[in-house]
Amino acid sequence: MSDKTAAMVSRSEASLLAGWSARGIPLAQIALLALTAAALVVLPFVVTGYVLYIANLLLVFVVLCLGLHLVIGETGQFALAHAAFYGIGIYTSGLAGNAFGWPFPLSMLLAGLIAGAVGVVIGAVALRMRDIYLALATFAFGEAMQWVFLNWDQVTGGPNGLRISPARLGAFEILSDRQAYPVVVVMALLMLLLTIMISRSRLGRAFRAVRESEVAAMAMGVPVRRAKITSFGLSAFYAGVAGSMFATFSTYIHPDSLGFQTTILVLTMVVVGGLGSIAGAVGGAIVFGLISEILRQTPSYQEIIYGLILIVFMMYAPRGLFAFIRDKTGRAARG
Amino acid sequence: MTLEVALLFLQQGIASGLIVGSVYALLALAIVVIFKTSEVPNFSQGEMVMAAGYIALYLLVFRNLPLWIVMPATILAAFAGAALFRRLILNQVARANGSPVNLVIATLGLSYVLRGFVRQTGFGDTPRSFPPVIEPESIMIGQASVTTLDLVILATAVVVMAAFFWMFKYTKIGRAMRAVGMNPKAAQLVGVDLTRIHMIVWGLSGAISAIAALLISPKVLMTADMGSIVTLGFAAAIVGGFTSLPGAVVGGFLIGIIENLVGLFITSRAIVLAPFLAIMLVLVIRPQGLFGGRVEIKKV
Repeated sequence: MSDKTAAMVSRSEASLLAGWSARGIPLAQIALLALTAAALVVLPFVVTGYVLYIANLLLVFVVLCLGLHLVIGETGQFALAHAAFYGIGIYTSGLAGNAFGWPFPLSMLLAGLIAGAVGVVIGAVALRMRDIYLALATFAFGEAMQWVFLNWDQVTGGPNGLRISPARLGAFEILSDRQAYPVVVVMALLMLLLTIMISRSRLGRAFRAVRESEVAAMAMGVPVRRAKITSFGLSAFYAGVAGSMFATFSTYIHPDSLGFQTTILVLTMVVVGGLGSIAGAVGGAIVFGLISEILRQTPSYQEIIYGLILIVFMMYAPRGLFAFIRDKTGRAARG
Repeated sequence: MTLEVALLFLQQGIASGLIVGSVYALLALAIVVIFKTSEVPNFSQGEMVMAAGYIALYLLVFRNLPLWIVMPATILAAFAGAALFRRLILNQVARANGSPVNLVIATLGLSYVLRGFVRQTGFGDTPRSFPPVIEPESIMIGQASVTTLDLVILATAVVVMAAFFWMFKYTKIGRAMRAVGMNPKAAQLVGVDLTRIHMIVWGLSGAISAIAALLISPKVLMTADMGSIVTLGFAAAIVGGFTSLPGAVVGGFLIGIIENLVGLFITSRAIVLAPFLAIMLVLVIRPQGLFGGRVEIKKV
């Protein structure tokens, strides 16, 4: 990551995270970002393939979280079908590679666009009514999509799952997590940049206006319904891209991993990290992705711990882990 | 398909639909009563049903208690559990940050805790069925075949719903609930204790869930994941308009019938899609639901 990018990230972070003063912080943040960038570059040379697999997976979760952040954190709309769009992305890019041998950048774009298009259609229907209908309609849509993945045997392989052939670009084939890692890192950074750009644009301001007050946003001339549909469609696009990232390093997908649990896992990451902050979404994805990987062998404990974390955070740290730590360490400035 | 078969299927579909529909109606009622008073769609409703089912199973099978103790004990436990969740947890969530979204996330948290807990006890490892209250005997109504157990389920559900409506309409506590649903601040001004009403509403919702669990568990295999049945309750609530109690009941019966007709006329594999299609259809054609009132714009 170049210094210019780093500076951009830090500035936007400063403006995004309420309570962070613009002065004083950037230096520490630039240092942190430089460190992260160095770690990302050095990582593949020092760790085993398994660790790189985890790193790839965490980066996929980062992109999933960024998408959910846009719709829940920025726009304040409660959507519960993230796993469905993620699945659409995985199957789209998997099938584009399997059946047509498409180069992976193209199938990634296709995965994002198809997921985004489905998102726009669902959003256009579900956003006609009270906020809560989006949650319910997307919940039902998620269940329905999982059913489609399970029963559309000819295309998805149904309950047998789908073998994903290696992602390719010309003669280059991705056969290992190590080879996939640079692609996944670059994609995650691109999506992070896109999020920051959206957040700082007119569109991002419209999203936040809708979140704060629909009536006030309307009065300011923000097309509220269009903003909501755009935000939901974008979040579906992110989930689709995340799915195609997963398809570059994974060889197999089963519909069981594309249900409501996955949606809730991503929701937990975004909420625990801190609703409404990009840093929170990224941090939540990494912290929670690790917890979930550690607890993978014991699903019952995993469920109890997720549940307790959600409840306790809502009770005592509703603005998320990072805001909580900041408040406790007394670094919060009036903002 | 001949006309005769179609007629037979129609009768059977409606009869079976009314029976499962009565349970969906109870679930929808439990969801809507909470939503009406606190604007929270309770995503842990399904797990409340599941947990109540396992409490009953535990008392009956592992403690060998007679049915006349198990049933009231289960309903009481569900009432207390739900009321306490509202009092101890949701009150604190509301205090920390008043946004309804946070309450919704807390209910999602509860659903996970309950499911993980039941999985951890191991009772859920082997799918079980709850022993039926009475031995099911087959009866024919028209050309539809139902069992005596089915009729008991339908009758109990209808009685519970009637009692609930009577309470909601004619008792002082029911009036207080309606007042809170219309305008919590005004209700508080005229002396309604919000905390207490919220506790009672959640308790009642838990009790209704427990009754639904007792009714449905002889007919389905119980697993830790059986809470997903609540999807149908949500679909019923949406069809009915989400804030209307009579709408929830009608929606429940409708969803039950649609589900059975889809299963009989199209394919049983498509049953899972029925609630989603019903929700989408309602959102497209009549987004406020069958009984939903005027759309209100959220206040600034």
